[in-house]
Amino acid sequence: MPRVISNETLGCPPIRALTFDSLGLIKVTEARGKERGTPTVVNTWGEMNASRSVLAASMDDRLTNPLLAVARKDGNVEVLNPCNNDLHFAYSVFGDDGSSPEDNEISGLHLFRKQKEDQTERSCTLLTCTRKGDVSLRTVQFPDARADSKDDAAPKTWKACGSGELLVGKVDGTENFGLFGGKRVEVNIWDLEQCTKIWSAKSPPKDNLGIFTPTWFTCAAFMSNDDHRKFVTGTKSHQVRLYDVSAQRRPVLSFDFHETAITAITEDPDGHTVYVGNASADLAAFDIRTGKLLGSFLGKCSGSIRSVVRHPHHQVIASCGLDRYLRIYDVKTRQLISAVFLKQHLTGLVFDSGFSGEEIAVANTEVDAETEETMKQEGDEEENEDETEEAPVKKKKSKKEKRNREKVSEGEEVDEVRSKKTRDHKKKTKKVKHTQQD
Amino acid sequence: MGFKRRKGDGDGEEMEAEDNRRPSFNTAERRNVILPSMIKNKDKRAKVYAKQKHEKKVEKQKKIKARDAAEKQALELGEEPPQKMVPKTIENTREADETVCRPDDEELFADIDADEFNPVLRREVTPKVLITTCRFNSTRGPAFISELQSVIPNSDYRKRGTYDLKKIVEYAKKKDYTSLIVVHTNRREPDALLIIGLPNGPTAHFKLSNLVLRKDIKNHGNPTSHEPELILNNFTTRLGNRVGRFFQSLFPQEPNFRGRRVVTFHNQRDFILFRHHRYIFDVKEDKQSGAKGKDGVAKERVKPRLQECGPKFTLKLVTLQHGTFDTKGGEFEWVHKPEMDTSRRRFFL
Repeated sequence: MPRVISNETLGCPPIRALTFDSLGLIKVTEARGKERGTPTVVNTWGEMNASRSVLAASMDDRLTNPLLAVARKDGNVEVLNPCNNDLHFAYSVFGDDGSSPEDNEISGLHLFRKQKEDQTERSCTLLTCTRKGDVSLRTVQFPDARADSKDDAAPKTWKACGSGELLVGKVDGTENFGLFGGKRVEVNIWDLEQCTKIWSAKSPPKDNLGIFTPTWFTCAAFMSNDDHRKFVTGTKSHQVRLYDVSAQRRPVLSFDFHETAITAITEDPDGHTVYVGNASADLAAFDIRTGKLLGSFLGKCSGSIRSVVRHPHHQVIASCGLDRYLRIYDVKTRQLISAVFLKQHLTGLVFDSGFSGEEIAVANTEVDAETEETMKQEGDEEENEDETEEAPVKKKKSKKEKRNREKVSEGEEVDEVRSKKTRDHKKKTKKVKHTQQD
Repeated sequence: MGFKRRKGDGDGEEMEAEDNRRPSFNTAERRNVILPSMIKNKDKRAKVYAKQKHEKKVEKQKKIKARDAAEKQALELGEEPPQKMVPKTIENTREADETVCRPDDEELFADIDADEFNPVLRREVTPKVLITTCRFNSTRGPAFISELQSVIPNSDYRKRGTYDLKKIVEYAKKKDYTSLIVVHTNRREPDALLIIGLPNGPTAHFKLSNLVLRKDIKNHGNPTSHEPELILNNFTTRLGNRVGRFFQSLFPQEPNFRGRRVVTFHNQRDFILFRHHRYIFDVKEDKQSGAKGKDGVAKERVKPRLQECGPKFTLKLVTLQHGTFDTKGGEFEWVHKPEMDTSRRRFFL
């Protein structure tokens, strides 16, 4: 049998992906063109330094003023502009004394998307968690692009686990709840407002041979954006587990995936498909309602998958990992669309959804620069008006993108309508059958 | 075997192209030609076939002669001799690979500077190797290990006992070993090699085959205890580079040239051939110049010679794992998968 993988979907929809690697570089890969282009590396940011290896990244991909937070191995967290790599501010998780972060690396990072309306200055809230279980939530305000940022009061900190290693730190779509878990730490959910633990999982019972598998969570994902109660986790013992907070403390559903540890897991916006990647370079889609394999993504991938991300608008997922490649797959056909060689061990991946293939990204940065300049000229006095001033400019550029987004969403809606129709039709036929039987 | 057929198709086209260049029969004539396979009488068929074969041989010799003559003539006339044809091999028609290292790549060097072998290769740490076996080890296993010990300087052998490999890794870390080699034996024959970089280096699993021990090599030499020189051939891609550096980190970085010992890791089509030699420069009287020399002193000619010291074996990379040995929880940097075998001209090292 020929083992040739035929590529039916040539080219790739316009996407912009930022990858982070073990040398601390940020690489921007873009596929331009209206219809189908080939992704290429456009930019490389940062200097090569192994101690600044990126451990976690989180992005707030709004259309205006997108922000990107990056956690480094040396304990620094940086907030950047993902369009042009302007550093907004940076701080160390371990305080200014710089205690050695040898065995206490950052394991999770989340940049909050919702913003407080009443504030006049630009600010952002960051959640970080370290391996020893220290979770901290801090709000930082930065008046302009300069580095003179100030912390908003003291950061909220708490311990998410007594012993063990915290490896997973996730925040749900509504950004009210956080999920933590790791090695010898059962998954638990915290209310981020009150900083209290509201739920914790129970380890599954011993199997029929009386063997207890130690808890070791490696990744997690919430199933839908506005529901914190359903989430899937991947474990070191190659198990994927679905938890439902409202049902029980033990997993509702669990199934095995190959023989090696599960390293990456992501949900699909349709609410029931999950993409699972493991340490021996297998990537597959599962239907979480039944736990059945939908199909695997074959892409000649040879190294452990560190990160899988679904594009918010396009029917595309991307994976990256230790084989130094960024791979982009079509979700529907599960075919490899393209693979980009990025030279280093990749640790993370983020999609910029505001990118539509045209020169908008560049325009975006230019506009930003302009606003910054105006801000500089007007000085400190009119800081309060900055928001209002920025707003019309932003609207202008956002219109184009909005149109693009609408197109996509319309297309999806049409699909949905169609599927609904077909479903209805099926139901009707079923009913007819029933009546006939009666 | 689909890919083979595809490849064959390509070759077939080439053959046809060549045929077109030669003065060949046209199709009508070709139809009239009687092939030996069409003759039913065996005696006759054999005769016809032998005749055909002989004709082909004669033709080939003629061609070679004509080529040589043309070359000689060109040399006499002082012209450029016609270019020699380079045979097509699988290696030189290898599929283009974007992961091949380029010397102008800054990121490559930054990555190399940050990798796990760097302290050893920068001579900050002297390599110290612990060799052990799988649980059951007999006949060729111990012999192979004693030869490995003679190849790798500063290496110790410890009995495996019933210890877990993870425990052994812990022990070796504590004792400041820089790598750990585990020889796996199956049916009293070494068949796999596991090399673990310490303290946090990668773990490489090799299939070991074609093992010939020293005493089975004719005219073998006995190695000395000098530090050997190291030759790493054809490790071109990023993965190959990493594996090559891994091998390099097993040996001390200051070769003692007085010992004239060479250890070679030669990569050919993803198979790594291990050889261990001793070389010598023989100083011989040149017979021709001796006859011609008028000043009485015979001219001397230096002629290098090689002597194999064994063992020799072939390695094939099965997996390369990130971190120390952990088959269940470890992350693999490279695993071979059947879907990657799309062509026999695709290599990974």
